[in-house]
Amino acid sequence: MLDAIFLFRDALYGALVIALVCSALGVYVVLRRIVFVGASLAQMSTLGIAASFWLAGVGIGGAATSNPVILSLLATLLGVVFFSTGMKRARVPADARIGVAYVVAGALAILFIAKAAAGEAHDIFLQGNILGITRADWLVLLAVSVPVLLLHVVFYKEFLFISFDQETARALGYRVERWTLLLYLTIGLSIAFAMQFAGLMLVFNFLVLPAVTGLLLARGMSGVFSWAIGTGLAAAVIGFSLSIPFDLPTGPTIVAVSGLLVILAWMVQRIRER
Amino acid sequence: MTALVTFDHATLAYGRRVVLSDLTFEIPEGDFLGLVGPNGAGKTTILRAILGTLDPSAGTVTRRPELRFGYVPQRDQVDYGFPLRVLDVVLMGRYDRVGIGRRPTRADRDRARAALGAVGIAELAKEPLTRLSGGQKQRTLIARALVGEPNLLVLDEPTTGMDLVSTTQILGLVRELHERSGLTVLMVSHALNEIANYVTRIALVQEGSFRIGAVDEIVNERTLSAVYGIPVEVDSFDGHRIVLARRNPPAAKAGDQRGA
Repeated sequence: MLDAIFLFRDALYGALVIALVCSALGVYVVLRRIVFVGASLAQMSTLGIAASFWLAGVGIGGAATSNPVILSLLATLLGVVFFSTGMKRARVPADARIGVAYVVAGALAILFIAKAAAGEAHDIFLQGNILGITRADWLVLLAVSVPVLLLHVVFYKEFLFISFDQETARALGYRVERWTLLLYLTIGLSIAFAMQFAGLMLVFNFLVLPAVTGLLLARGMSGVFSWAIGTGLAAAVIGFSLSIPFDLPTGPTIVAVSGLLVILAWMVQRIRER
Repeated sequence: MTALVTFDHATLAYGRRVVLSDLTFEIPEGDFLGLVGPNGAGKTTILRAILGTLDPSAGTVTRRPELRFGYVPQRDQVDYGFPLRVLDVVLMGRYDRVGIGRRPTRADRDRARAALGAVGIAELAKEPLTRLSGGQKQRTLIARALVGEPNLLVLDEPTTGMDLVSTTQILGLVRELHERSGLTVLMVSHALNEIANYVTRIALVQEGSFRIGAVDEIVNERTLSAVYGIPVEVDSFDGHRIVLARRNPPAAKAGDQRGA
């Protein structure tokens, strides 16, 4: 089994990098109650990937469509601006706007793939192909994730303040909209790159489930981050290790392990409360 | 006495929708002002103009240079789902002093503990915020406002949703803070009865009109009846003012029902 895992070690490293960054940022996603913003951003990233395939198939875009990450990033960043700046001013409730973005982006992605050259072969990119991660891929993921995480370490108290109590932050002179945009940008950037390899389900998993586990187990913010990152990494390693010898799809196996960890955390919390 | 905030013929609007116009008043140093009015009257709009998060569309709102606010938001503005300790929350009041990208120092933590002591909950510093009662949460938010060493303490609906005991304790605490150190206080509330017995001046906002003055100038039957447009009684019991809307006579009520 270890030989098989060693064979796919680059894929494991990639999964660990995605787990690390998404689990850490997922704490904000869950605490700010923007889980479906995360899902919609991931869906918009999917749309960017699908649009790339279609455009490349019909010979439009050249370099811009040769690498799906470019349009994926563009679509995600458009979503970031849309969700971080326009939510309060709109007449339509925020969750309805998120729903519209989610379903329209999802449908368009399917339509683009359906009409893309060799569309069925590209479905793997929408579902993710974690085992296909190469050394170059995870190094790119690391190059994006490390600055994002450093930014979060440096501006931890700013992101925390504007997430916990916007009105007071504003009263103390914080430019809340700009900080919110920066927070969303880091989330969007991480999603766009992770989506290239992990697919919608696995990215959404890492954004939500480890943070939920952390919130169930920890009593302070640092504990939540620690548990979220720890269980995110653990789910990646365990899921990855189980999927290869048992010939299971890697992404869903990691999600199943994450789900199991949430259930265990919930049971621990129930025992503590007694 | 110097003014901390001065409104000079200020018009406050959201886009083209004018909420209040031609406001002229001051908040002098040492004031204990209640900003009172029903929901939707424009209290929050005035508050935003005071805090500087809303610019007047006409006229001016001037804040004294180096003016520092201590802000206590409405309770539902704060997300109590965050797993924060009481001390962590209070420390947020010093974040702007600490500076962007920097961490609070031991001196900041000592000040935060002192602020908790000033509001009477020093022993709760390590408790999770979620475990506190409504009154304790409000004390935590007041401590956070105080820890920034403000010139002007602003409280937005500080007693909404609280029981009688907690309301009395919180309002008593705010008055004590004002009397103890001469701290300037602006308290925003829709509950005239609560505010009238604690503050020294009242600003009354109602359907676009704005009146400000000493409590006796505002809380009297003639002024309140004119502002609210219904007969209002102001009684006194054991030194406490009680404001009541006069009930309609039963006959008139019956007539209303017949006519309906």
